[in-house]
Amino acid sequence: MSLLLAPCGKLLGGLLLTVTANAYAGDSQACLDWLKTVAFAGHQTDYTGVFVYQYDNRVETSRITHLAEADSEYEKIEILDGPRREIVRHHGHVWSYINHRMVQVDSHKGRGRFPSLLPDQLSRLGSNYQPKQEGTERVAGYDAQVIVFQPKDNLRYTHKIWVHTDSGLLLKAAVMTDKNQVVEQYAFTQLQIGGKIDRSWLNRTVSSRHEHGPSPGMRDSDLPEPEKNADRIQQTDSGWVADSMPPGFKKTMELLRPMHGKHAPVTQIVYSDGLSAISIFIEPDDGDEDDVAGLTSRGAVNLYHKVMDKHLITVVGEVPPRTVVQVFDSVRFKGR
Amino acid sequence: MKKEISALMDGELFEDDAESLLDRIGRGTDAHKDWELYHLIGDVLRQPDHIHCDLSAKVRERMRDEPTVLAPRSHAVKRKARTFALSAAASLAAVGVVVWMSQQIGTETFPPMAMQNNAMRPVSKDIQSKSNDYLMAHQEFSPSTDMNGGASYIRMVSYGSEGR
Repeated sequence: MSLLLAPCGKLLGGLLLTVTANAYAGDSQACLDWLKTVAFAGHQTDYTGVFVYQYDNRVETSRITHLAEADSEYEKIEILDGPRREIVRHHGHVWSYINHRMVQVDSHKGRGRFPSLLPDQLSRLGSNYQPKQEGTERVAGYDAQVIVFQPKDNLRYTHKIWVHTDSGLLLKAAVMTDKNQVVEQYAFTQLQIGGKIDRSWLNRTVSSRHEHGPSPGMRDSDLPEPEKNADRIQQTDSGWVADSMPPGFKKTMELLRPMHGKHAPVTQIVYSDGLSAISIFIEPDDGDEDDVAGLTSRGAVNLYHKVMDKHLITVVGEVPPRTVVQVFDSVRFKGR
Repeated sequence: MKKEISALMDGELFEDDAESLLDRIGRGTDAHKDWELYHLIGDVLRQPDHIHCDLSAKVRERMRDEPTVLAPRSHAVKRKARTFALSAAASLAAVGVVVWMSQQIGTETFPPMAMQNNAMRPVSKDIQSKSNDYLMAHQEFSPSTDMNGGASYIRMVSYGSEGR
């Protein structure tokens, strides 16, 4: 009898396992679908609104305007507190208004207008985090679906997002430690989706200046021409590796790129686990005394850099400090 | 007024100012409302499991309805309260002594301290502003940019990067 029962129990147990696994997979898939919607909506929707950014006991208020034009996306972020600061993004170029001057800070070619959350990236995400839907809440007057991405180890942060149920726009996002402490968060306090949005600043961006020529009433915030940085970025195989990259982080690109304020090109290797990324920068040490070794952080991003074997190595990522240091300690030149 | 309340909450107000402000909060209904609202905002941002909502009126109401118990037990409670008051007074006095001592100590102790700071400086402002370029270069390839859009770039232009 017991001989007969044993396989029965096993079968039943197996059946139960399958059922729970399926239920879990269903919820997980729904969360990943939400994420796809978020990435798509973020690029395709016209919106303007005010959001607060909170990190390290600071709170800052900013206005963001995003416009999806026929040729490309335009995005402007104005910081409303303290000294005037502004960032404009368009067609892979980033300009920043700091110290009364608009300067180009970054430039990338081949960054399309469509989200780069690729299917393999999403499946990777599913194996590193446990996504869970946590009901609906109201944010900035809109109904939002709450989704939590709980990491499967303590080398990553927990990500919690609030997605507008109608438009798919991200209304709020929080990054938390394994002890549930908020590291940083964004939240819209006011948001207008679609409708009449001021487009006058689009005319001041580079592409339209080319068409109309420089206007006599040009203001100091006119964007300078994009440098031809994008053309100087190239794929490379530097021969540098990081042996202790946390599981689930896969190399997504390796570039040799010019960088603002650097004479020699810098190697950048990017790894991603689907939700966060870690970049390793390698450059020859120029003996700059300011390059003191150390860990810095800005919100959820941690940065560690140090001179090692005549190279300045910098590790940056939206991961806890211990992860950044662990990765740094394992960087070595393997040879090409 | 609002600015002062916010400064008080951050502990950035001098004692005299704080006292007079607390006095005003205690009296004025507008200041009191602001005070509560700021705490509510702070609570919401910190995302606790329970959000503080003003219970004081309700508690007061319930207290009024409670019968007054005249029992000898209250004596022990009173004594405990006095001990607390005493220890608070003691720590205030201690603070006073420290402040007084720091005023008495001459300036000659400062140079070595400054030198020490200079040698240690783990994260200087220079590095902070330099690291912006790395953050910027990293951001464009991070999946978080796909989700948060331009909002992720706020990290580079936030207060910490003023030294640029």
